[in-house]
Amino acid sequence: MKKSFKYISLKTKLTFLYSVLLILSVVFISFYSYWNIWDLFTQNEVSHLRSKAKPIIEHWVSVHGLTDISSIPVKFTSQTALLAQDLTSKNTVAVILTKDKKIIADGRRLPEEPISVPPDDLHFKKAMSGINEVIFWKNREGKPTLFFLIPLRPRPGSGHVFGVIQISTTLSDINEVLFRYGTMQVTAVVIILFLGIVIGYWLIGLNLNKLQKFTVTCQEVAKENFTQRIEVENHRDEIGKLAESFNIMIVKLETIFNAQKRFSANAAHELLTPLTGIRGSFEVLFRGAQDDPESREKLSKGMYQEVNRLIRVCDQLLGLSRLENSSNVGKQPVFICDFIQDFRLRICPLIKNNPLAISAGPFLTVQADPDLLEQILLNLFSNVVCHCPPGTPIVLGWKIVSSYLEIWVSDEGPGIDKDSLDHVFEPFYRVNSIEKNGEKGAGLGLALARSMVEAQGGTIKVFNENSKGTTVYFSLPLF
Amino acid sequence: MNGEISILVVEDDPVIVEFLQTGLKYEGYKVSAVHTGKDGLQLLLQESFHLLILDIMLPDIDGFEICRRIRSLEHAIPILLLSVKKEIADRVNGLDSGADDYLSKPFSFDELLAHIRALLRRSGAHPGQTKIQSGDICLDTQTRKVYSKNESIDLTPTEFSLLELFIHNPYRVFTRETLLNRIFGYSYDGGTNIIDVHIYHLRKKLDDKSHQLICTHYAVGYAFYPEKK
Repeated sequence: MKKSFKYISLKTKLTFLYSVLLILSVVFISFYSYWNIWDLFTQNEVSHLRSKAKPIIEHWVSVHGLTDISSIPVKFTSQTALLAQDLTSKNTVAVILTKDKKIIADGRRLPEEPISVPPDDLHFKKAMSGINEVIFWKNREGKPTLFFLIPLRPRPGSGHVFGVIQISTTLSDINEVLFRYGTMQVTAVVIILFLGIVIGYWLIGLNLNKLQKFTVTCQEVAKENFTQRIEVENHRDEIGKLAESFNIMIVKLETIFNAQKRFSANAAHELLTPLTGIRGSFEVLFRGAQDDPESREKLSKGMYQEVNRLIRVCDQLLGLSRLENSSNVGKQPVFICDFIQDFRLRICPLIKNNPLAISAGPFLTVQADPDLLEQILLNLFSNVVCHCPPGTPIVLGWKIVSSYLEIWVSDEGPGIDKDSLDHVFEPFYRVNSIEKNGEKGAGLGLALARSMVEAQGGTIKVFNENSKGTTVYFSLPLF
Repeated sequence: MNGEISILVVEDDPVIVEFLQTGLKYEGYKVSAVHTGKDGLQLLLQESFHLLILDIMLPDIDGFEICRRIRSLEHAIPILLLSVKKEIADRVNGLDSGADDYLSKPFSFDELLAHIRALLRRSGAHPGQTKIQSGDICLDTQTRKVYSKNESIDLTPTEFSLLELFIHNPYRVFTRETLLNRIFGYSYDGGTNIIDVHIYHLRKKLDDKSHQLICTHYAVGYAFYPEKK
């Protein structure tokens, strides 16, 4: 049962719980109100009968001279029949009992009047001890009958009780009223429960159907259809907020998905283009170009270039994926001044035509991966060499900015156009210009540089310097 | 035989340009190549070409845009688009922007040649002739029948391919390796002696006892001379 409850729909579950709560509360309220009304009627009847009986009894006591305690035993037994008759009416029968629970007078005269029954010992003793409010129920001839006992005293408030009057009534009027009330209430409860459950089921369904839209949209998104959005009806309720967050999530997913798609398309392009060159060259060679030494040399050189390009692209792609795991970064203390001096010597062959100036900052030690640091600078320098006219001066410098070491490489080349500036760090993005030295990059240099900087906890930015040249800044945390 | 036909190649990858130029020249086409879309458009307006081979990813203007510009000038040149993209959407986009054919990289050079031939045939630049007459020999590529002095000769498929290659490229000296590659495919592993065997049978069937029709160039290969020396 418990297991199967898990698998039924939320709508059914909620309706079931809601119905159970509704039934419990309605049934409780109706029982409580029925009992209250019954109690009220009973009390009312008792006090009514009591107030009717009180003057009769007091009159009888004073007339028959029972106020004197010493004369009671003689007078009491002989004068009771009349009193009992006075207290008896259509539905009510009075019986008078002595101290020994002996019936000395019975008000019943007509056969349609109810037969009297002596009280229980417990109730009788209570009444004899002077308690006025002894009320109890008993079945008489199959009808529930209300009994109440009135102790007889010589004077009101006297502690001496010489007898007990038992008045019993069938309460047939009250029962009639209560029966009608009960029927009415049962009908009302049934109607309320029926309407409540039906409306509840409908309302729950109405709200849960909004979730149905989420399911449909989710399925669409799973099919890579990112045009779907969930309509937000109410910005404040939970479903509205969920829909808003959901829509934001779809946009984010779309961005990531498109970036991923672009990345693989670009990667495929970068791998397939050299392969096209190699395959075509081979085929042309096989078709006869191999017989001509000049064509053979040209095509072989081209193929060699393409193979090198493939290796370079593969290396860079591997580098990018390796940097996604920061545990591959081996940080160690790097004394920045020595590092830059070493780098200057190593970079010489690459920038033989470009004058390099060093703008030194404070001499200090940073925690960094020296291999990555060198690779970053190498990428930045080869960009300058590729995109600037030969002989463009380069400046390499460093300084402290708050808790970061900022290193920059700036050139006095043509700069980067504004549209490209936002995209230069995207993998495979290439600024639209023909590379000067013929070696075509894959557009991964800056993407790699960014990954390498970020893997060490820093940031990288690129700026155009007042229409003349470009500066790339990157920062590394000092601690 | 393709000497009259000029092809313009617009492609930014130097190695692809190199093999296209070399390979197409060997096939007898006249080839011009440029690296950017702008140069391509300019050259197209200055000179007339029979076919344009166009890469989509160019550094300045993309291939689709070049197609649209060419068509907006009501230039009817057949255009063959080359691209790494294989998706149907890209092919549709390419053809819709005015290209006549689409070939995805990396392509086989034979396939490229077949596409070029088909495009030229459709544009009328390449007569779809099936009968080739060369000297006394007449060769029908459609029925694969060969007549020598109006007498039918029975050739095996290999011999037919050899003769077809020779007739298409008269006077050109083919090495045995090249013949092997062209006739048996690039991945054929056997020795080159098989070529000598087929040449021997072909000569016998063509009644070329003095080796004047199919001439042996010692240590190099074979060449076909339609007019007897």
